[in-house]
Amino acid sequence: MARAPRRLLHGIGLLAVFLFAVFPFYWMVSSSFKTQTQILASPPIWLFHPTLGNYAQVFSDHKVTRAVISSLIVAVCSTGISVLLAAPAAYALARYEFRGKSDLWFWFISNRFISPIVLALPVYIIARNLHILDTHLVLILIYITFILPIVVWIATDYFRSIPKELEEAARLEGASQFDIFWRIYVPLGVPGLAVSAIFGFIFSWNELLYALVLTRRDVQTAPVVATSFMSGYEIPWGKIMATGTVIVLPVTIFALLVSRHMVRGLTMGATK
Amino acid sequence: MSYLRLQGVEKRFGSVEVIKGVDIEADKGEFVVFVGPSGCGKSTLLRMVAGLEEVSAGDIFIDGVNVTDLEPAKRKVSMVFQSYALFPHMSVRDNIAFGLKMSKTPKPEIERHVAEAARILQMEELLHRRPRELSGGQRQRVAIGRAIVRHPKLFLFDEPLSNLDAELRAQMRTEIARLHSTLGVTMVYVTHDQVEAMTLANRIVVLRAGRVEQIGTPQQLYDQPANTFVAGFIGSPKMNFLTVKAARADAASLTLSHPSFPAPVRTPNRGAAAGELLLGLRPEQLHFEDGPCRIALKTDLCENLGGATLIYGQTANGETLTLQTPGRRLLKNGDAFSAGFDPAGAYLFAPDGRAL
Repeated sequence: MARAPRRLLHGIGLLAVFLFAVFPFYWMVSSSFKTQTQILASPPIWLFHPTLGNYAQVFSDHKVTRAVISSLIVAVCSTGISVLLAAPAAYALARYEFRGKSDLWFWFISNRFISPIVLALPVYIIARNLHILDTHLVLILIYITFILPIVVWIATDYFRSIPKELEEAARLEGASQFDIFWRIYVPLGVPGLAVSAIFGFIFSWNELLYALVLTRRDVQTAPVVATSFMSGYEIPWGKIMATGTVIVLPVTIFALLVSRHMVRGLTMGATK
Repeated sequence: MSYLRLQGVEKRFGSVEVIKGVDIEADKGEFVVFVGPSGCGKSTLLRMVAGLEEVSAGDIFIDGVNVTDLEPAKRKVSMVFQSYALFPHMSVRDNIAFGLKMSKTPKPEIERHVAEAARILQMEELLHRRPRELSGGQRQRVAIGRAIVRHPKLFLFDEPLSNLDAELRAQMRTEIARLHSTLGVTMVYVTHDQVEAMTLANRIVVLRAGRVEQIGTPQQLYDQPANTFVAGFIGSPKMNFLTVKAARADAASLTLSHPSFPAPVRTPNRGAAAGELLLGLRPEQLHFEDGPCRIALKTDLCENLGGATLIYGQTANGETLTLQTPGRRLLKNGDAFSAGFDPAGAYLFAPDGRAL
């Protein structure tokens, strides 16, 4: 008999978390279909005739399409390069003993201890001295420093779960170091590498701070463009919200499709 | 010159010495079994032959070549792992062909070798499957297929049957024996199961704590164990040991006495001093209420095996003896009976365990 109330409480709790997580998205998406006056109305208007005017404005603005393309270039390149660099590193960390291994291992993750804003100014100055401000390159390089540790960590964990006998069997069969990595670890590590690539992609797609600091006009990424509509005199909420929706939609769909794998990737090594 | 030779081989992990100077020789075409309790170093020794573990001291020769510092692949050995170690993302065909591909064998030749291995192991219809779609016995066969396809100089087996159930284990055991006689290759096989060792081996190496206790044919180990460890390890059920008092009867014989012996037992003296000795008697050498010499026993337990009965009896000193007798015997716990034996077939050991 105590079951029913407990399940009720459980349901209420879930609902609360759900609302907390989803409401901002609801607000963004619904606002993107409202006019400026409807958005600013107080109390809020819950029922309204949706308008596509904001989207018409967004898609006629070349800034937005260009920004989405920029975002794609930066996200794909930084993720791709990170995976290419991290996979061999993860293999080495998972299977070899060498001096300073645990320090190196820790160093990878300790990079993430520093709040990004602390480094924003030095990074800006370095980029300016190298004359790479406002280029895809600078964002790709910076994002790699963020994504690489994630990929190394997840992939190392995954590679460790691959039985060592497989490597020994391959060695006895005459496989070279590279063969073992390429024919055994990479194909068997695909789930782990894919999960870390997805995290990396979402990270660089969403990143705002460095994109804001390091770009001007030519290579603004999508989140930067969304905020750039705020001028001193007017905040066009409808357009900002429509842009936000356009940015978030592809990643959301993508994440829903692969969520099963992502959970598996994150709990990897937790159970055996 | 022997085909496989281990010479003063040692292995240390840090300060821990796991292999303490091992010398083993095997001829071409022999089936050598390393047997011993877990932790005796038998798997480590095999992995050293394979090249998966470095040798701390000593040398290993295969077919006259010193392979001690050679890469595993250059030693021309194949190994079947306890876990089979099949590549899960490859088909059976690709698993078997992996080594040939690595050595850049031409495609038609690979096809031919794979087909031949599949025929020998009767798994032609499994070639397109993935390892996870196979039963334990089939996986085992693929692992063996991967080993034979490269025509190695030496086959290494690391407890290959321990993951199988009893019935399949017996079946695979005979298959491995058949394979050995068909291929006529040299095999080194590691197991902790003395039945596997006895049935498969031409030559058994008994290991304990990183040392060789005895090397010999199964029959030699059974008939002339070098010490109490080998005597207790080879044969099932285990050999019984009784602590007896020995006195010189004359120049050529001893008399043994024990509180449970109704009369002292006379045996030929094989170089023992008078004093305490260990008398070894296999369960199949003890006869229920029959035999020239007797031991008085009290029943502890009776196990009926259908065709035979195992009787566990206690001596006056509290030692437990196992006796295997044909047919069915019903003894109640505490029942007194006598076990008879022929002293000519009994084993004698010095107090330090050495056989006399």
